[in-house]
Amino acid sequence: MISRLAIEAENLTKKFGAFTAVDHINLRVRVGENFGLLGPNGAGKTTTIRMITGVIKPTEGSVRVFGIDVVKERDKAIRKIGYMPQRFSLYEDLTVEENLMLYGSLQGLRGQYLRERVNELMDRFYLREIRGRMAGRLSGGMKQRLSLAVALVHDPDLLILDEPTAGVDPPLRRRFWEHFKELNKEGKTILVTTHYMDEAENCDRLALMGGGRIIAEGTPRDIKRRAVGGELIELRVDGDIELKGINGLKEVLKNSDGSYLLLVEDSSSLLPEVLRRAELAGVRVRSASPVFVSLEEAFIRLMG
Amino acid sequence: MISEDVYRVVTIVRKELIQLVRDPKTIAMVLMMPIMVTILFGIGYGGEGSGKYPITIVDLDGREGSFKFIEELRDSRLFEIKAIYKSKGQGFSSVYSGSVYACLIIPESFTEDLMVGRATRVELYYDASNPTVAQAIMQAVGVVTQQYQEWAASNFGTFAIQPMFYTVYGPKVEKIESFIPTLMALILQMVPTSLISVSICREREKGTFEQFIMTPIRPFDVIFGKLVAYFIATISDSILSLLTAILIFDVKLRGSLIDMTVVSIVFLLSSLSMGLLISVFSKNQLQAYQASIFTFIPSMLFSGMLIPVEILGPEAEAIASFIPMYYFIKAFRNVALKGWSFLMVTDELIIILAFSVAFLSFSLRSLKMEVT
Repeated sequence: MISRLAIEAENLTKKFGAFTAVDHINLRVRVGENFGLLGPNGAGKTTTIRMITGVIKPTEGSVRVFGIDVVKERDKAIRKIGYMPQRFSLYEDLTVEENLMLYGSLQGLRGQYLRERVNELMDRFYLREIRGRMAGRLSGGMKQRLSLAVALVHDPDLLILDEPTAGVDPPLRRRFWEHFKELNKEGKTILVTTHYMDEAENCDRLALMGGGRIIAEGTPRDIKRRAVGGELIELRVDGDIELKGINGLKEVLKNSDGSYLLLVEDSSSLLPEVLRRAELAGVRVRSASPVFVSLEEAFIRLMG
Repeated sequence: MISEDVYRVVTIVRKELIQLVRDPKTIAMVLMMPIMVTILFGIGYGGEGSGKYPITIVDLDGREGSFKFIEELRDSRLFEIKAIYKSKGQGFSSVYSGSVYACLIIPESFTEDLMVGRATRVELYYDASNPTVAQAIMQAVGVVTQQYQEWAASNFGTFAIQPMFYTVYGPKVEKIESFIPTLMALILQMVPTSLISVSICREREKGTFEQFIMTPIRPFDVIFGKLVAYFIATISDSILSLLTAILIFDVKLRGSLIDMTVVSIVFLLSSLSMGLLISVFSKNQLQAYQASIFTFIPSMLFSGMLIPVEILGPEAEAIASFIPMYYFIKAFRNVALKGWSFLMVTDELIIILAFSVAFLSFSLRSLKMEVT
């Protein structure tokens, strides 16, 4: 039976002695989505990731990848997973090409097909020029590109990336996320952790972790809404306007410069209503737009 | 006020000590190792049976004179007389087989000569493959003979016994050749074991193990892959050393290259297997190195590398029976210096192989494809 869930974690727990790193979390990642796992250092993201890849065993609970139990049938499960760990984990005394060829072989690719696949990946991630360089002598960005290429060598359906852009400069970070988008288009599922909040905007859905638990879950928009208590609209008008009584309007704040900050349930449905009110009152609207709340802001609020 | 330089050094001393003390396994090694080695040393080297050379006697005389001589040999507490034969053939084969280092032949006319005051002789046929031991035995025989001679002189008048020394394996073996077994044992354990012992734990330490276990690889693949690779690397090592000794130092060995290689390969496999076991259980490279050294010291003391184990006594022999190197040195000595074929040392080879099988099975069972 093929599950529509790429990852299904139930009651997943990891204890190290008295310390609970991951506390009975439930996680569902749908096939084809780009799922972000966010949180500060020590929140339990990497431990969760490692249980999903089966690199460590859970203390309690279970995790399934495409319906396959990772603990019971790990061999089957990992065939579908491409993993990029947080720490550079390839052989520093082998070249870029040797690392790729090695992992291709270990994953079962052979002969001509192996050769083609490695070439294809080197091209895709701009590794050809540095194919003969020792992996230990690569810059941070090059290492990440190589790690991603290795994770993809066996064309897995699920990519699990732990801080893939850590230490990578902005232009390359953007390129990475463009790659991820392409991979999603190809039908692959991606689970990524990051603590660059701006990157997390690109995810379809997010889970915020803190202290081993999931604090909030949903689309970036859902999370912001939850953090702020709604959505924000900034309104600049000439004159005064009566806004009370609008359905879904939670709060109004008047700023010192005369503009209004409205807290609403849903900005897309309330914005037209606000404009109508202004028209009715005969007040000219200079600007009315949703306020962008950054995930960082949302996160800080949610973490308390 | 202490000077800046001293202060800096003290700071470093403090940091180093903190780091050393923090790893419990390191402390265990640092404290336990010398204690265990001393205990082993005391058990083995301090035993009752120390200093006795195993020999056999062929008594062609069979009368009071020879009985007395044999008694003197026994009383000297320098010899362990394994058997007293009536024929030379039995005596020779006891030395050939390696069960004793020498055989002393008391001639037919011994007592008669003694009573008459005529000069006579005793013949010592010794195994020359171990010159240090041979020399010691010859000296001991000389001493006993001298004493007996004096006793005989005072009771029967002038009497001279001439000890004659013959080697069982032809011309004398040079000192350098007798050390070849020791050299080979060193090369075939010290380097291979410590080299392979870091192989698995280094992957853990560097983090490459985490990516590695995302592939369909199994413990069997890892263990045998590493075993074969390191074998290829280190066998060339040992062949090179042998060739260097033979060509450059003009060492003459009786054994054929094939026989010596077979015995070496079997021992090399056991050294590598032991190293793999260390690697599976070590958390990091430091521990692995320490463990290799830890296993090397008993090998040195009880393998016959320094002193033949039989001379140390039964406690030492018991300890030696657990050490693969002991069997190797025994077998290699017979093959290289006495010219035996490897088929004649299959007992030792099988035991060494058994060690390898044990180490490998244990490694296979203990290697888990997960990160701790």
